[in-house]
Amino acid sequence: MKKDIKKKLKDFWYGKPHKERRLGDLYIDKTGLYKHREWRGVKDTFYYFHMIWLYNYANLVVDVMKNGGLFVFAKGVWRYRWVGQTYITVMHWFDRGHEGMRGEALRATAWHYRAMTNETIRQFMRMFRADTKLNKGKQNEIYKKTMSHDETVCGAIFYPWRDKIDNVALQMIPYFVTCHVNCQTVLNYIDAVQSIGLPADPCPMCQAEAGIYVLDDYPDYSPAFVASNEACDGSVGTGILQDWFMNKPYFSMPQPMQFDDPLVHKHTMAEIEEAWKFIEEHMGIPFDWDQYVKYTEKFNKLTEFEWEKWDVAANTPYYPINGVAQALYRIYYSQDGYRDIWAQTDEKVRKIMHRCVENKIETFPETRHRLLAWSCAPLYYSFWTTWAYNCWGLNTVMNMDSLMFDMVLRTDTYENALDDLARYHEWAPMRRMAVGGYKHVFELWEYMKRFNCDMVMMYDQLACKGMQGIHGMFEDEFRERNIHAIWMPHALPESRTVSRAEIRRIINDYMFTVMQEEPLDPSLLDFDDSLSW
Amino acid sequence: MKKFKKILCGGLVAAILSYIGLFLVFFFDLDGKFLYYVVGPFLIKHYDNMPRKDMTKSEYAMDAFPKYEYAQEEAR
Repeated sequence: MKKDIKKKLKDFWYGKPHKERRLGDLYIDKTGLYKHREWRGVKDTFYYFHMIWLYNYANLVVDVMKNGGLFVFAKGVWRYRWVGQTYITVMHWFDRGHEGMRGEALRATAWHYRAMTNETIRQFMRMFRADTKLNKGKQNEIYKKTMSHDETVCGAIFYPWRDKIDNVALQMIPYFVTCHVNCQTVLNYIDAVQSIGLPADPCPMCQAEAGIYVLDDYPDYSPAFVASNEACDGSVGTGILQDWFMNKPYFSMPQPMQFDDPLVHKHTMAEIEEAWKFIEEHMGIPFDWDQYVKYTEKFNKLTEFEWEKWDVAANTPYYPINGVAQALYRIYYSQDGYRDIWAQTDEKVRKIMHRCVENKIETFPETRHRLLAWSCAPLYYSFWTTWAYNCWGLNTVMNMDSLMFDMVLRTDTYENALDDLARYHEWAPMRRMAVGGYKHVFELWEYMKRFNCDMVMMYDQLACKGMQGIHGMFEDEFRERNIHAIWMPHALPESRTVSRAEIRRIINDYMFTVMQEEPLDPSLLDFDDSLSW
Repeated sequence: MKKFKKILCGGLVAAILSYIGLFLVFFFDLDGKFLYYVVGPFLIKHYDNMPRKDMTKSEYAMDAFPKYEYAQEEAR
């Protein structure tokens, strides 16, 4: 009895040990809601309450107020499904990504989420302030000073105009980020594009992006548009529909497949210069080299810190950022380009990470396997990494999307700057290591060594014709190299093809039958979250 | 002075009660439940019933813009 009370008091004060948590018991069936949020011990529960839940709810309001005000926000919510159905649920996105986390890892990870939320609000509020659909058809001054572009055209392309105009990617917020926050929203857009005759087998990302247009759900916030073919032929199809529905000056800036060829690279450099001419022409503002240098150098500082983070992740158990935050934050800022919020966040995370290294704090102490996640991840289940650590001790140390832009952009001469920017553009998401050719796809082995990983989570995007073609080659290599790899089938944003529960079942089966291991938290093995956000 | 003390005490009690209330909302995921069962369905109903433009009737006005020609120039 005395022992019991002592144990209960200890659990109350410090939180239960990992193996006794039974996090699965907290869920309300199907919805993914919590009967109650997790008790993490006094210190971490109140850190979560004050510095994550309250702080972020308060800052949602502050960010909206700073970027146009509540009235603009309310108009946007009333007009656009993707913002109303998705972003009001954002604190649950925090919850899902932070389940089971404690101490410094909880803190560092949450700062990444905060930065992504802040930048998302900035972007959609800019869209709403400029949007002709919310402003009685008027093209106001903000409209004339905003450039729109495909989400895979990197923000760096627009640095030369950063002091005069701002750029906002068209699909980043209405499509990409929504899939992570509320996976149900995007299904409306996929169904919409199929309702006008598109077959169901092209990539659902391309379908969803076009479907937003079919439902007339994109803001009209810019006089012109810079497009790319993104990663594949499906995206070219999206581009055709976009060009039709958008009906405004449209510049196509391709991302070549065979970018290692020097002639192709030269062509990419020329295309970027053409895009710059197009922007000058349509925005009426000349190219400013000094602005390009200023923002590129600031961005390079982010890359330098990223390398420091990778060094800690690769060589120590003290890396305080979980798999989902690492993946989303890195792809977000490297695609979005420099913003002050990234630098501010890096400063906070730097302090936490240095503290972990100096004090030798093991941030994921129940790690059984170090995973490298390769290829394109399921957007509706990016937080599977949190589940996999809690349930099985699978620690996703690094992922492919984080590793793509592994370079510093030179700014010493115009020629070098253009050369590097073209390379950066060619290494876009879903391009370099996904469909960028044999050499790049198989960089996996090199990175496994570099990050000391003993397992691979091999994403299998069922609708990606590019990666499907080399499935067998991967199988052969895994066998040859004696590497444990779990194939995770998914359909990027389309959660109905392979559900989250099915993904968990596949991992469970591998861990039981091949690895012959027992779960750390059996309550997480099987639960129904089919109607959750 | 007495009045000031009363206001101060009242403010303190209100602050403590608000804090406890917020903690209860947080701990029992009442924000999530409210959004899931009340706000979400209301907004979804609104979006489902919104009149929308038939985008397939959009004109494809290619000729409305000046002709744009690819021209490779000397580096800046």
